[in-house]
Amino acid sequence: MVGRTIVSAALVFSLTVAATATEAQDAPKTFTIGAHMPLTGSLARSGQAFTEGMQVAVKMCNAASPKFQVKVDLIDDESTPAKAVSAVEKLSSDGAVALIGGYGSNIIGPASDASDKLGKVYITAGAVSDELTKRGLKTFFRINNNAGYERGIATLIGDLKPAKVSIVASTKEAPALLAEGLEKDLAAKGIAVTVHKFDPAITDFKPIINKIKLQDKPDIIMMSAYENDYVGIIRAAKVLKPNVKLIVGTWSLATPKMYTEFPDLMNNVVGTSFLPFPVEVKDEEGRKFSEIYKQSYNKEIEYLSTLSFVETMALCEAIVRAAEAGTLDKGGLAAEMRKTDRNSLLGRIQFDETGDNPNFALSMGQHRDGKIVLVSPKSAATGEIAYPALPW
Amino acid sequence: MPVTSNASAQAAPAAASQRGRGALIGAGLLALALLPLVAGASPYMLGLLISALILAGLALSWALLGNLGGMVSFGHAAFFGVGAYGSALLAGKLGVPVLLAIPLGGLIATVFSLAMLPALRLSGPYFALAILAYAQIFRILATELDWLTGGAAGLQRYPGLPTVLGFNLADRAGSYVLVLACVVVFALVYMALRRSHVGTALRAIADSEDATRVVGVNATVLKTWMLLLSAFIAGVFGALNAHIIGFLEPDYAFSGIWSVMPIIAAVFGGYRSVLGPIFGAVVIYLFDQVIAKSLIPVGHQILLGIVLAIMVLLAPNGLSGLVARFLPRLAGRGLSNAEKGHA
Amino acid sequence: MTELILQALFSGVLIGSVYALVALGLALAFGAMRIINLAHGELVLLAAYMAYLVESRTGLDPYFAIPLALVVVAAASFVLFLLVDRIKDHRELNSLILTFAIGIILTNAILLVFASDVRTTASPFLQDAVSLGDLFAMRSEIIAFVLSLVLMGALWWWLKSSWYGRAVRAVSSNRGAAKLMGINPTRIETVSFLVAGALASFAGVALYTMSVVQPATGHALTVKAFIITVLAGVGSIPGVFLGAVLLGVTEALTVTLASSALQELAGMVLFLLVLFLMPNGLFGARARRG
Repeated sequence: MVGRTIVSAALVFSLTVAATATEAQDAPKTFTIGAHMPLTGSLARSGQAFTEGMQVAVKMCNAASPKFQVKVDLIDDESTPAKAVSAVEKLSSDGAVALIGGYGSNIIGPASDASDKLGKVYITAGAVSDELTKRGLKTFFRINNNAGYERGIATLIGDLKPAKVSIVASTKEAPALLAEGLEKDLAAKGIAVTVHKFDPAITDFKPIINKIKLQDKPDIIMMSAYENDYVGIIRAAKVLKPNVKLIVGTWSLATPKMYTEFPDLMNNVVGTSFLPFPVEVKDEEGRKFSEIYKQSYNKEIEYLSTLSFVETMALCEAIVRAAEAGTLDKGGLAAEMRKTDRNSLLGRIQFDETGDNPNFALSMGQHRDGKIVLVSPKSAATGEIAYPALPW
Repeated sequence: MPVTSNASAQAAPAAASQRGRGALIGAGLLALALLPLVAGASPYMLGLLISALILAGLALSWALLGNLGGMVSFGHAAFFGVGAYGSALLAGKLGVPVLLAIPLGGLIATVFSLAMLPALRLSGPYFALAILAYAQIFRILATELDWLTGGAAGLQRYPGLPTVLGFNLADRAGSYVLVLACVVVFALVYMALRRSHVGTALRAIADSEDATRVVGVNATVLKTWMLLLSAFIAGVFGALNAHIIGFLEPDYAFSGIWSVMPIIAAVFGGYRSVLGPIFGAVVIYLFDQVIAKSLIPVGHQILLGIVLAIMVLLAPNGLSGLVARFLPRLAGRGLSNAEKGHA
Repeated sequence: MTELILQALFSGVLIGSVYALVALGLALAFGAMRIINLAHGELVLLAAYMAYLVESRTGLDPYFAIPLALVVVAAASFVLFLLVDRIKDHRELNSLILTFAIGIILTNAILLVFASDVRTTASPFLQDAVSLGDLFAMRSEIIAFVLSLVLMGALWWWLKSSWYGRAVRAVSSNRGAAKLMGINPTRIETVSFLVAGALASFAGVALYTMSVVQPATGHALTVKAFIITVLAGVGSIPGVFLGAVLLGVTEALTVTLASSALQELAGMVLFLLVLFLMPNGLFGARARRG
């Protein structure tokens, strides 16, 4: 990993040198996009996945645009707001034309504020809090939001018409928000819901699952949590075998990677997803993405990589459009971003006045013997849901 | 520096000349500290310096407790987080002016530190980890009491630093000056305290608690005051940071970083002196962010760990100890009081 | 409700036995040298990653990693001891900071080498459910429980009856007197750090088979181990086991009777209560805290 980072740093450096050396000739003009990601600490995995998707997008964008090239400068924000703000300021003073933000609303909030003060467009795929779009920043954009996750999961669960659902939710920010929203949504559909919040430090989930098994007796267990928690929860469920019909989770769950690493835990588990696996991509762009991704990183595309791929593509295209119109250095990028209207692996991408993507909605994918079948919503489904179906 | 009026009488002539030199050093340092503003540093550089100074204040608070109180804390995040939440809630929910809410945040941290009084009986690692337990407990309470603190989703819409007399404290230069002023004020308080009778008594306690009990110094009362003062300082910097960053959540406000970094900074700079922790914080933060990060983008804290280990093994008195060894005249009283105090 | 509580007690005892394994090494080094090794959790984590290395590279059962883990972790523990032994002034404070620094180095070294992914065993055999009547556990938990009891028995016997064991106890109760009796304290301390490293190896491998590990896990393990040492009181091996089980059961019951969000809180409150009200720990013989 370090090796790769150093190599890419060297690459970026040599590119910079090359770019400055040949400025005088009519070589393509290179723009820098600044990015800050959590590359250390407990969110380091997310940061890595984001970075990979971003790099692939840059490659594809550059291949498509001979006149203008983009490159990414990356800084580790260590999941701390002050360092993310510093990163934004440094990247901006080093000449970044726009910024891509990392993970967590507590990081994105201050960082995008700083970016707004510097007049730079800021886009993220890692912050879902509604508060962020209520600030009225003109330079802030994001492609995903809590509402989208909520809608995706609520649609699936609503269609299955269970009598009762138990939600197991981490007390971290994004999972807690999602659990809160889902509790309301499902209650509105007449489904009884109990929520079990847990501290992220917890490792043994058997006492929670046992409570669910003996007291709640739900039809569906819904996990609003992160990868390490999923593993602990499903393991505990596999041991205690509560009489449920389905286990549903959210981000970073319905991925080929999870199945490769934990084959005995994942079968029939449902999580938010964009793509079936093996990838049956209908559009050219998605096919190319998965191809280049596989070449570069020797693995199947990951969930977060897909998100960051799409946001980076949207940003790159807006940069190229603004550069062609000559408005890039006159603050025209935000306006170009708002003109975005394209199809992507995540569906249609547009940005409203607050910078949010109102079309964001997720499909739900089910692990099926190493494959991932999209089972909801009906419009995106590639197969019927197996229900009741469990990993054990 | 000026506030030295109650230095002991018998050392008056020496103290006078030292005071002169101290004032000179102080003026020099202040000039150095204001240089970035004059030289027109970029917002990025000022941002780094602000973070470094927040850390400096926290390291000062940690070192005060360690040096004067003889207690090592592994949970200064407890005070930092309480100060941050206290101030943000006062300003956000009750509309208290931010510049008043910040010291009140410190005061709230002090009140919370009263809960730690039973821990004062403990020594060494027991005290250190008891404080860590408090930091954890406060973090969980901040997550659970969501009607007050916003829970895991955190607080984000509370006022930032205001504009005072046409001087915008919310911009980088303004924040820098404010945080710098706070560091200077607390450093002066710390210096005055060390030179007072209280400081003498505390040093005696550090040497032998039993002996001082015989001569009528109440060690527990003095240690209590040091804990309260340390909590206040940490709380104020927590509050400052909260209004500069503009976003709080339990995991961030009570993050282990606020417990760990001040220890590294103070030990690196020399926790037995006043200026050591401040310099330690600035040097270590800038080293970490500017140099270490460019060498090892992921996992650069490994260099911090190595630096910390080397300092403990080879230079247990930190940078200030090294300075005192090689530049004894310049160091004077300002940098290496510890070594001289014991002489 | 009874069924819930019984399962909570059962789970608590099982997880407690692994906590005990993690805490024993810390308690032993603390007993011998009066030094809290704040890198102990990272040593345990190092062993867990050795188990990952062996399992992912060879496909063997993670327990086959124990020899490798023993060598690597004991070596790390030895180096750690050599460094700590160099500290001359303010030993208590400086050794805390030094071991803490080594913990940071180990955590980041693991991050650099193994990346930040979540790791745990892939063996279906170890993850299978085992039931004792109405009580359920993973097979790896039962194995870890037995392993923990065996190791604790062995350690207890070693401290009680071997020359080295008696010397460790002599040094920990009175270093000066032990020296006069012809015991070389440095040698004894070295041995106790090596044994602590060995215990950490077993703990790490056991942890890998029943829980998930990440580079950031180490610090939390150290804190748990310290809490247990405090609950136990200094110098009592059965105390460490009972303290660990008490912590495990308290956590499990908190989840069952109240909320899982309060689990950590319960552990911390228990820790502070014992610290303040029973300064010798629950099972400790001597008062050494003033």
